[in-house]
Amino acid sequence: MSLIIHRRQLLAGAAAGTALLAAPAIVRAQAGPIRIGTLTPLTGSGGQYGPGMANVVKAVADEVNAAGGVLGRQIQVISEDDQTNAEAGVRAARKLIDVDKVTAIMGTWASAVTTAVAPLCWESKTFLFTVSGADSITQLPHNGWLVRTQPNTTLQGRKFAEFCLEVSGGKRAFFMMPQTPFTQSTFNNFKIAYDKVGGATELLIYDDKKPSLRTEVDQAMRYNADCIFVGGYLTDTTVLMRDLFRAGYKGKVVGPGYSINQKLVDNVGQPEATEGAYGMLPSPQEGSAGWKKVADLTKQASPDPFACQIYDHVNLALMAMAQGKDATGQGIRDNVRKVSQGGGDKVDNAVDGLKAIVAGKKVDYDGASGPCDFTDLGDISEVKFRYEQVKAGKMALVRIA
Amino acid sequence: MVNYLIFILVVAGVYALLAQSLTLSWGLTGLVNLGLVGFFAIGAYASAMTTKWAGWPIPLGIAFSILVGLGVGFLVTISTLRLRDDYLAIVTLGFAEVVRLVASNEIWLTGGTDGIAGVPSIVPRAWGPNYHITMLVIVTSLAITVHLLLNHLASSPWGRALRAVREDQVVAAVAGKPVVLLKAQAFSIAAAIAALAGAIYGHYTSYVAPEIYQPLITIYVFLAVTAGGVGRPLGALIGSYLLIGFLELTRFMAEVVPGVTPVQAAATREIMVGLALILLLRLRPDGLLPERNQRAPKPVAVHPKGTTS
Repeated sequence: MSLIIHRRQLLAGAAAGTALLAAPAIVRAQAGPIRIGTLTPLTGSGGQYGPGMANVVKAVADEVNAAGGVLGRQIQVISEDDQTNAEAGVRAARKLIDVDKVTAIMGTWASAVTTAVAPLCWESKTFLFTVSGADSITQLPHNGWLVRTQPNTTLQGRKFAEFCLEVSGGKRAFFMMPQTPFTQSTFNNFKIAYDKVGGATELLIYDDKKPSLRTEVDQAMRYNADCIFVGGYLTDTTVLMRDLFRAGYKGKVVGPGYSINQKLVDNVGQPEATEGAYGMLPSPQEGSAGWKKVADLTKQASPDPFACQIYDHVNLALMAMAQGKDATGQGIRDNVRKVSQGGGDKVDNAVDGLKAIVAGKKVDYDGASGPCDFTDLGDISEVKFRYEQVKAGKMALVRIA
Repeated sequence: MVNYLIFILVVAGVYALLAQSLTLSWGLTGLVNLGLVGFFAIGAYASAMTTKWAGWPIPLGIAFSILVGLGVGFLVTISTLRLRDDYLAIVTLGFAEVVRLVASNEIWLTGGTDGIAGVPSIVPRAWGPNYHITMLVIVTSLAITVHLLLNHLASSPWGRALRAVREDQVVAAVAGKPVVLLKAQAFSIAAAIAALAGAIYGHYTSYVAPEIYQPLITIYVFLAVTAGGVGRPLGALIGSYLLIGFLELTRFMAEVVPGVTPVQAAATREIMVGLALILLLRLRPDGLLPERNQRAPKPVAVHPKGTTS
């Protein structure tokens, strides 16, 4: 069967398509709600984090709306998918900025997406909150139009090394990580800490898309390390842990908490393979209300750090707009540090924070991912780490410091 | 909204350039190039590195990226001379991965996974909306120029020889066509077009990084060419605009559906793209504008014996 399309029909179809594309804009153009956008990876390699992140923002907005909104206006969340790809991410960001006219974009995850989207944001006076860790991001000429809640690699590398030294009691560490914008600098800072105590460490960059990492593990075994640092994400760390177990590795394993966690234990499926592994990640004090709130919202006993971070993004954005009485990106840029730091009433959610701001009080937000105090460049200035260990197939808290 | 539409049209123009490249290598010559995104990346890097780090003027950087595209395209052809069909497809797919891995790991050369931020733009970004409009004019006229040139090539004797190679290279060789040379020419020119698209895209978005150049882009371009019509430059051109238009349209369609979560909306978009492809292949297997057989030239009038013309 063949269907013949005439030129006129094709044109009519194209015209109808264009009309459809334009139609929502008319609906959108009315003033009313304050719009904020999430740009998280709903599909692609970040797909396991993005959906939860988008839901957290929606849930916070619903609560704030139920309590009367911000500056008397309701909050509307528009969630787009960056497909963990910079090209698709840029298109989605353009849509959020030009069509939805959001005041802030939050939750960009992959560093490449963040770096690609950032210029769009500062050119169009839209504030950007990100969870990307690459040092280079805050060094972009962003003029204060972005902050990030992920600690930079200088701090993380040092903390990782100190903990590896502590739990292994030895001085030989093998550092395994896929190639990312923060691999080299994390390792450099890791190495500095080992060099200081006269230890030795070696870096192995592996391809995170390989189905088996046996040769890499053999290399690690040959190094005779007393501690292996595994720096990948959940999927590749799952492969790595299995291969380490099969190779009969008996030393310590330390990794970031976003990959060494309950999900990893479940994914690996062999309790002995993950037993005793340590996970560490930036954290607020144990029992902080923000952390518990995100655990509730995401229905996870131990929510992933990106859900916690985007929870802080949305709270900060809403409070900053209220503080400046200005529901624009400019309002967030000028006021975000006034609500995040500098003393005042400690608040851990936007509903309480907004009440305090309306009452004319100074607030200082401490969130789910940490105290959320930012430097002028947009990095977080201080952070505590939460250390956990797999014990009998469950994550057990070691300490928070 | 206007800015957004202009931006989408610029992106579609870049895709149109890529689609022209694929039409030449795949549509006309039958060389399945799954490594398209690799050439796209090489063009972007060549121009970004020379203009940002070596301070070359932008037109020179773009010209350089075309040359590099030509050269690398030639290298890939001569290293895959004995491969056809699926085997060639796998090797070119591997080539794109090699490009991405080299770009991520050879930090001294490419800046690694950080990429190159702040690539100079062709016209000042400070122009605001006018910047995008100027870029739209530049990209669209480039896409149309390349299209017209390709159209011209496709209908020339050279284009006919390419199609002969595509249909059966043994027969073409028997007929005296220089098969290897034709393949090398077509593949290298196609690679150069993809490199040009990469350079333009890099200068437009001002950012070049290995993570941008994923196989997803190659697949989208294959979609565009399949939708428009394989082997017909105009089909590929229109297909690209339709594809990007459709991809963006699904964004709004998924939003209109009540009660879907963002994840479901993202999944719905992918379903719609897949469904559109299946429907298209079912109803228009040759694309919207199928390739037209070139008419054989009219027989030369036979003159009666003894007369001269």
